[in-house]
Amino acid sequence: MSPLESLREALRLLRAQPLRSLLTLFGLVWGTAAVIFLLSWGAGLQTMLDTAFQRAGKNLVQTWPGRISEDFSPAVDRRWLWYTPADVAALRARVRESDLVGAEARTYAPASFRGRAFSMEVRGVDPESQAIRDVPLASGRLVSRADVEHRRRVLVVGHRARERLLGADGRLGSWVRLDGTPFRVVGVLERVGTQLSRDGEEIDDQLWVPLSVHLALWPNPWLDEPMLSTIFARAKDRKRIDEAKRELRRVLAERLGVPPDDEEAVPIFSPVEMLERLPVDQQNGLYLLIALTTLLVGGIGILAMMLDSVQERRAEIGVRLALGARRRDVLLQFLWEGVAIVALGGALGVALGAGGALFLASGAFRGRIPAALRDLVPVPELSAGVVLLSVLAMGAVALAAGLVPAWRAARIDPAETLRVE
Amino acid sequence: MSAGDAAPAAIRLAGVHKRYEVGQSAVHALRGIDLEIARGEYVSVMGPSGSGKSTLLEILGCLSRPSAGRYWLDGTAVDAVDADGLARLRGEAIGFVFQAFNLLPRLTLLENVALPLLYRGVPRRARHERALGALARVSLEHRAAHRPGEVSGGERQRAAIARALVNRPKLLLADEPTGNLDSAHGREILTLLEGIYADGATVVIVTHDPGIGARMPRRIAIRDGEIESDRQEAR
Repeated sequence: MSPLESLREALRLLRAQPLRSLLTLFGLVWGTAAVIFLLSWGAGLQTMLDTAFQRAGKNLVQTWPGRISEDFSPAVDRRWLWYTPADVAALRARVRESDLVGAEARTYAPASFRGRAFSMEVRGVDPESQAIRDVPLASGRLVSRADVEHRRRVLVVGHRARERLLGADGRLGSWVRLDGTPFRVVGVLERVGTQLSRDGEEIDDQLWVPLSVHLALWPNPWLDEPMLSTIFARAKDRKRIDEAKRELRRVLAERLGVPPDDEEAVPIFSPVEMLERLPVDQQNGLYLLIALTTLLVGGIGILAMMLDSVQERRAEIGVRLALGARRRDVLLQFLWEGVAIVALGGALGVALGAGGALFLASGAFRGRIPAALRDLVPVPELSAGVVLLSVLAMGAVALAAGLVPAWRAARIDPAETLRVE
Repeated sequence: MSAGDAAPAAIRLAGVHKRYEVGQSAVHALRGIDLEIARGEYVSVMGPSGSGKSTLLEILGCLSRPSAGRYWLDGTAVDAVDADGLARLRGEAIGFVFQAFNLLPRLTLLENVALPLLYRGVPRRARHERALGALARVSLEHRAAHRPGEVSGGERQRAAIARALVNRPKLLLADEPTGNLDSAHGREILTLLEGIYADGATVVIVTHDPGIGARMPRRIAIRDGEIESDRQEAR
């Protein structure tokens, strides 16, 4: 008997009792759909977190002023430390694990434009720090090296800051007052979106001015040298974040005169590290486990249905054997029936799971999510690998659910089933 | 006819025993059957219920093997044939007609009749033609597309006979072929079987109906697993 005939036979079996077939197939359909959907969702979640954590800069390693730890020095020496532009210059000359080192100074200042006034976060930036942030421009330009050198009073505005402060009238070339000092708007940033890791306001709410201007206009009143709020670096290799951190700390500790492993004196933070501490993999593992369990339950349903069918069709099997069917023919018939049923359920499941994933990724759905939340809802990522995995899992289920009943069917004694008692 | 003749007997049994277990107790269904049936004979096997006549038919039909003794089918020693070979014998050399018809309910009559051809690997088109021919022989070609549930009992049994004939078997085995039918339909079936016998096939009918047995030239009576009598009428 050819596979095609077996397939036809299998479809006949499904049609004979549509409700039972539907209920049995449901487990399999749902299991397959769950595998595909949950794995796609998990991949999307990973990407979403990755993006949301790295919106402040890719492979970012960040340090801010700390103080000497109690463990290493007598109490009298426990003083606050600070970073200066000279530290940045030293780092740029000496670090190997990072390709960029930048610095920022931060303050809140009253910002006013044509009668609107807000307290906003103003950051002094340099070309390197902007390169690390890597925010695309909506219009105009970023703060240039010349701006920093000549202390030009120029301003780059974040996406939401532009909406709030400049409104409809503001444009490139407008003048904004920060703490009373006029700044000319030279650039507007693209929207960055929700940052799951940030230092202060989100970039969308920030105003950027040249670092030199910031240090001059808003100096630390307690110091007679310029003080930076943050130094940050971009690690060359995401997998070598630890090495990049260690190197940064070693150089800074040497310049500050503290032990090279004093984490309180030189506190360093990286979003990637934090991201890796999130149990995303475990969660995806759990998803996979749940999905595969569902598939297994579906497979057991098929197995029960097939066993039932063998029991019900003992007489039929006996007749087929009497008419010249070999045991192999009977085995193959039931095996193919199992495979056909699983293939049918699997195809429906793939369609359902992939359809669900594609729908959640579609513009029609994304458009309905409130803008504030959109960055935090994963976009399911349907991949060939995911589909392949589910097909493989299904194949295993099909084999198991088809083989046992087929084996039973092939072992039926024709004389026994044909005997009329 | 003896083994020395040029043509071997259609059926030869020598000292055949059959035991099987039903639950805890062992049943000794056949106790030393010696039997020879020549080609083209028309034989009835009669006996009360439990006499072993159905078991004998199972062995003749290669559905089960003797526990002891030997069986030659058309000169072939059946005990030397493997499982696949037995399946081929059942499919090609033997036609079965059962009391309960045993048509597959989900197939049309045509598909039912074509089943033995399917297992012989006959291509689809040829299967179709030959099955239709067999149905025509039992005057059922107009019912080819019906399912067994849609036709009368007599028609079902005629379809079953068409199925038994479709491979042109040398041996036709019928187990109470009229048992589930009224007498008019039963006569119709017997006439059909007689036609097959007239065409030269060996026909063995198991029955407990003396009225049927009386129509047949050779009558074997079985009781308690042994042959009680074997009467041959001169033709």
